[in-house]
Amino acid sequence: MYFWQDPEFGNKMITLMAAFVLVLQIMMVGQRWLVTSIRAFGVQSFLLASIAFTIAYFNRAPHIYIVAGLTLIFKAILLPVVLERLVTKIEIRQEIEPFVNIPLSVIIAGLLTLLAYAVAESFHRPDETGPASLGHNVLAVAIALFLIGFFMMVNRRKALTQVLGLLSLENGLLLAAISLTYGMPLIVEVGIFFDVLVAALLLAILIYRIRETFDSMDVSRLRRLRG
Amino acid sequence: MAILALLLIPLLAGAVTALLRSPRRMELVYLLSATGSFAAAVWLAAEALAAGPVTWGDSFLYVDHLSALVVVLTAFVYLVSAPYAVGYLRRDEANGVFDEPDGRPGSHAKLRQYYALTPLFVFCMFLVGVANNLGVMWVAVEGTTLASILLVTFYGRPTSLEAAWKYAIIAGVGLSMALFGTVLTYYSAHEVLGGESLSGLNWSVLAVSAPQFDKNVMRLAFILVLLGYGTKAGLAPMHTWKPDAYSEAPVPVAALMATAVLNCALYALARFYVLAGRCLGPSFASQLLILFGLLSIGIAVPFILVQRSYRRLLAYSSIDHGGIMVLGLGFGGALGTLGMLLHMTFHSVTKPLLFFCAGNAQQHTGTDSLKRGPGGLLDALPVSAPMFLLAALAVTGTPPFSMFQSEFTVLQAGFAAQRTGSVLLFAAFVAAIFCGFFYHAAKLVLGPPSGLSRGESCRWKTYPVIGLAVIVVLLGFWLPAPVYALVEGAARILAVQP
Repeated sequence: MYFWQDPEFGNKMITLMAAFVLVLQIMMVGQRWLVTSIRAFGVQSFLLASIAFTIAYFNRAPHIYIVAGLTLIFKAILLPVVLERLVTKIEIRQEIEPFVNIPLSVIIAGLLTLLAYAVAESFHRPDETGPASLGHNVLAVAIALFLIGFFMMVNRRKALTQVLGLLSLENGLLLAAISLTYGMPLIVEVGIFFDVLVAALLLAILIYRIRETFDSMDVSRLRRLRG
Repeated sequence: MAILALLLIPLLAGAVTALLRSPRRMELVYLLSATGSFAAAVWLAAEALAAGPVTWGDSFLYVDHLSALVVVLTAFVYLVSAPYAVGYLRRDEANGVFDEPDGRPGSHAKLRQYYALTPLFVFCMFLVGVANNLGVMWVAVEGTTLASILLVTFYGRPTSLEAAWKYAIIAGVGLSMALFGTVLTYYSAHEVLGGESLSGLNWSVLAVSAPQFDKNVMRLAFILVLLGYGTKAGLAPMHTWKPDAYSEAPVPVAALMATAVLNCALYALARFYVLAGRCLGPSFASQLLILFGLLSIGIAVPFILVQRSYRRLLAYSSIDHGGIMVLGLGFGGALGTLGMLLHMTFHSVTKPLLFFCAGNAQQHTGTDSLKRGPGGLLDALPVSAPMFLLAALAVTGTPPFSMFQSEFTVLQAGFAAQRTGSVLLFAAFVAAIFCGFFYHAAKLVLGPPSGLSRGESCRWKTYPVIGLAVIVVLLGFWLPAPVYALVEGAARILAVQP
């Protein structure tokens, strides 16, 4: 048997790529330039598409090819390009300005990863084969992406980076969905579509707001409605 | 047949309205779709009552008593808000809300946006109710979010954009948690059910085999779903989008969001509650639900007591009532679920009345402030003002109004479940909310005369108020037998036997 037919090889590739996805997520927490963040998100989505492709190939689950294709087109290419053009066009300041300083943010991201492993560990069943055997590492990465994405949304002032946090959080969700269950039928595809729709809607609100009213993307200025 | 009619009527209405040019025709299509939807919902409920669950397309759509109840309530709120919306938007147009900044009369694009989006919004809520597949249900809930975000930005003010932003971000995170929970539910079930067909996520299938699911995974799945759909329902501490969105959306949409969307989110949560209860035993889910329920009721207390705006007051009242329903579900058993669903029914009838009266007051006085605005609206608004007071009494659970009965049922269920501490806390919170709410309502309506001109010339806005008030009073004394049968049947579905 050649190695490209061996499911074990596929699983190793998937685990490796999932590790890179996690590294990228922590990198997004740890750097201060908006454009780099957007590019890191693009690469992360590309890796996710590759994971989907690998799962589809080794487990002969043709409908996951659709997931891979949609992720590649929308999340790896279209959204990063649009976001980057938006950043250059509206000439906002490029620095991210988190609430918690960067070294501490990275430490928190590390702790969240540990927490994710602790949660995922309880699902581990050593005798499993098939998708569940992937669960051990990949589910932990997925939960870590989810938690770190959430932390990024809370930690950042700029509206655009909140959108980025939301999108990377949903990348974690997508990873869990395709690796645990070979992609729930239909739902994941529609889920990606909705992700993109929500992101587009948020960006539209943002652009409209910048043009009409606030002249700022600082979310901490959104304080008129209280109580 | 009834299911298809229910889904197609609002969908077609939305599509047709997008092509229309004349505002009068848009209004006509809108009113027709509301009436048609309600007729279809009642027809569907009658079928479900007569012959048990109605299905369509290989169980893709599945309507039991619980679904039928939620669908009927949604259709009811849509029906009563339709004529009100016509009057409300005509008044807005007359006030020049849609005009260009330079004073030219505005185009009808805004009206078209409203009349096309609202039926689509309602369509998504119907789909939440009738979808059997938990994934499709999630998609429909996300659809309601998208439609309502666009409706929250309707007025395009800086504050409405701020509200829409918060709503989109918070609901986006919340719903991704709900999807994660759905994925994990599927994961916990797929060893039992096997296969990767679409029916693997059908609730009617899952509910049967739930006891064999992987318990660890199901536990995490339920927590995520509770946080996710809890965000959509506005349970504390994920409630912060609610007051903003409710006070910025057009009043008829706010009424739909405060009742129908709340019902849909709690309905989705209740479906998972049944799965978790059958898999893990009732106590795990119950404890979490009681915690979130009490937290939501409790957090509403201070915000109601010191509230400055009556639109936001209504939003906090809605958080409070969402908490009461979740508390009823948490107390569980036949009594607790009955209390929850009765409360859902009565709340869906009473809350729109409050919103309509508040909307009339806001359009007449031009402000929704409780502090700076004129009090003593009794002279200026001879219909809406007293009805506001009546609805305030009803919504705070004063006897003889029906919400007293449902809150009392929840209380009883708490004692039956031997959760005395929670019950006492609940009673104390409800009493405090009554004081705060009634203080504000009384000041708004009964204070010294405002000196404003006499309003309420528009029948479109007063007749729905009068009609709803009659129903609210009637429900205090008489609950029609078919409605009670529907509620009771739905409660039986939710009651998880230990």
